[in-house]
Amino acid sequence: MHEDYINIILADDDEDDRLFFCDAFDELKITTRVKTFNDGVYLMDYLNAEDSVFPNILFLDLNMPRKSGLECLKEIKKNDKFKDIAIAIYSTSASEEDIEKTFIMGANIYIKKPNDFKTLKKVLEEVVTINWQYYTNGLNKDNFLLRL
Amino acid sequence: MPSRIFKKSWLIKSIFFISAFVILIIGGTTYKKIEDLSQSSDLLTKTYKTNVELEKIFSHLKDAETGQQGFIITNDPIYLEPYNIGRENINYSFAELKVLGSDNTTLQNNLKELNVLIDKRMWYFEKSFRFSSVGNYNDENFKENFLNGKKTMDTIRGKIKGMIDTGNQLLNKRQEAYESNLKLTPMFLYVVLLLSLMLMFATYSKIISDLKKIKAANEQLEIFKESTKQSEIIGLQGNWIWDIEERTFTYSDNLYRLIGEKPQSFQPTLDNFVNFVHPEDIEKFRKDIDRMMAKNEDLPFIYYRIIQKNGTIKHFKTCAKLHRNLDGKRQLLGITTDITTEIEHFKTLEERNLELERNNKELSAFNYVASHDLQEPLRKIQTFLSRFEDKEAHKLSESGMMYMDRIKNAATRMRMLIDDLLQFSRTNKADKAFELADINILLKNAQQDLAESITDEKAIITSNKFPSIKVIPFQIQQLFSNLISNSLKYKSKDRIPEIRIIYNKAKASDEPIILNPKKPYYHKITITDNGIGFENKYAENIFVLFNRLHGKHEYSGTGIGLSICKKIVENHQGFIFANGKPNVGATFTIYFPYL
Repeated sequence: MHEDYINIILADDDEDDRLFFCDAFDELKITTRVKTFNDGVYLMDYLNAEDSVFPNILFLDLNMPRKSGLECLKEIKKNDKFKDIAIAIYSTSASEEDIEKTFIMGANIYIKKPNDFKTLKKVLEEVVTINWQYYTNGLNKDNFLLRL
Repeated sequence: MPSRIFKKSWLIKSIFFISAFVILIIGGTTYKKIEDLSQSSDLLTKTYKTNVELEKIFSHLKDAETGQQGFIITNDPIYLEPYNIGRENINYSFAELKVLGSDNTTLQNNLKELNVLIDKRMWYFEKSFRFSSVGNYNDENFKENFLNGKKTMDTIRGKIKGMIDTGNQLLNKRQEAYESNLKLTPMFLYVVLLLSLMLMFATYSKIISDLKKIKAANEQLEIFKESTKQSEIIGLQGNWIWDIEERTFTYSDNLYRLIGEKPQSFQPTLDNFVNFVHPEDIEKFRKDIDRMMAKNEDLPFIYYRIIQKNGTIKHFKTCAKLHRNLDGKRQLLGITTDITTEIEHFKTLEERNLELERNNKELSAFNYVASHDLQEPLRKIQTFLSRFEDKEAHKLSESGMMYMDRIKNAATRMRMLIDDLLQFSRTNKADKAFELADINILLKNAQQDLAESITDEKAIITSNKFPSIKVIPFQIQQLFSNLISNSLKYKSKDRIPEIRIIYNKAKASDEPIILNPKKPYYHKITITDNGIGFENKYAENIFVLFNRLHGKHEYSGTGIGLSICKKIVENHQGFIFANGKPNVGATFTIYFPYL
């Protein structure tokens, strides 16, 4: 039953961004289940819970109160049971520093939040349809930042 | 030079000893010769005296003979008187001769023989008298005696003549030897004297020339001393000497001045100096100096403070080096420097550095605010606008649509400004590493970034080959990218854009545009386009932040792109110049130091 859906989680403290995110998936013709969390603490509580369903792709905002995206990334990468989750950094900034740091820490892709809705839909479609097994093998610092 | 003179002093010493030796020889030889001369004149006198005495004896004998003959003829006893006196005189002369011949055995032997002969003669006289006194002249015995007397007389004559001859011969021989000796002596003395004079002259000229050298060296030393004094004053330095054998200190005048005292105003002892050392530094200072004095070793740089009598605190730096002079005497030569200003400068510099660091931190905080916090609301405005356009646009009136377009343009422009500003503030070199990069690849990457607009404009870009240069690679790529897009943006409407990028190595002296070159050679890159160009009076303005030559409705842009170029070039210690001709094109010339 799970195979039919792509499980997606977004951790972002910004209500508008969560709204755009969900709207975009609603409009895309892909069967997804989207779950959102308001910050890193809620996200990690969920992931660490006994009965949680691990997402196929986790979208992580970097700048969040209480627990930042970087901290979440660190915890997730430390724990072997999360090893199959593809992690997409989803941030307003695309500073070299952030890109380099998250790449080294093991994130799979870096997405700079687009500034129009059409682009957002295109980006999310692209990311969700990536074959992660194949993609991760050819990953390097240059193609880590998603460019359309 | 002085050391050479000192080393040569053995030469002078040996010349002195040789000269003294020569004078001694001359003295000795002269003494010997004079001795010989006086001996030889003694001999002469003796020989003459001997001859005279011998002649006297003979003449007395003759007188006696004559007297005898007179007596025989006249029988008058008056004629016997010379005979009687003659005998006495002969004895007297004999005594003289004995004294004269005391050192001559031949003469002594001859005298003995002569004495026998004279006695014999006298005996014949006596006998003849005995006969003659009685008038028996015809007596055989008388005749015989008389004849024998004559014969003896002849023998005596021969003997005396022989003796005189022997004496004369000996004298002649001596005289000859002496004369030949006397001939060579003055020659020898003269030569030796000449030789020693020459030596003395050589010594004299050597001493004079050495003296000259020493004088010259002395003058140099004086000058050096004076210049050292001056440089000590200018350089805020003082020097001191620790004499290891004498165990005494010597301080230079300026060392006194450095501690705020009059030159040589107190005894240069360690204790007197320590009195000025800052109480907090005394312990370490003492330890360092004691170690130096105990082990006679070089003093590495030590740092301490002193307090002058008027309360001023000064920072000092001291070091010393072991020195051995020509006589092997060991001294520690020390230099003390007042580094108060240096330390103050250092402190100011440190404070400024801290301030700069603080400023940099503030700037990066601003960067973060700009990149994240400012972009976020803008992004949302834009996203909501796109949602609004998609879903609600058909409900709007014509003017409503126009307002929405204006809002969209304003938002886009704001995004551009924020992006460019961010890029400008990120173009720092402090945290960027220089690496050897293939400039050809960086140019290619820049062209790829702009591939879309290059294709759209059908632009022709040509370039020659670049070497690898030590640069901050992504900044150089950015530089090319900004300049090419600048050329594309300000293209001429009548022509296909053409951009020529030329590299060559340039000699700084051949490039008058570089006012203060820091390197002899530069990498020179010129980027020439055939665009709209610009008035040359704006050539410098175009690099100023937010400076634009055209209205923003004619050409979109933020006025930041070329400022970023300038900043990048300056990060590389390079220069960038622009040159334009309206409606012909623009040329950007970039120089990077050739390392």
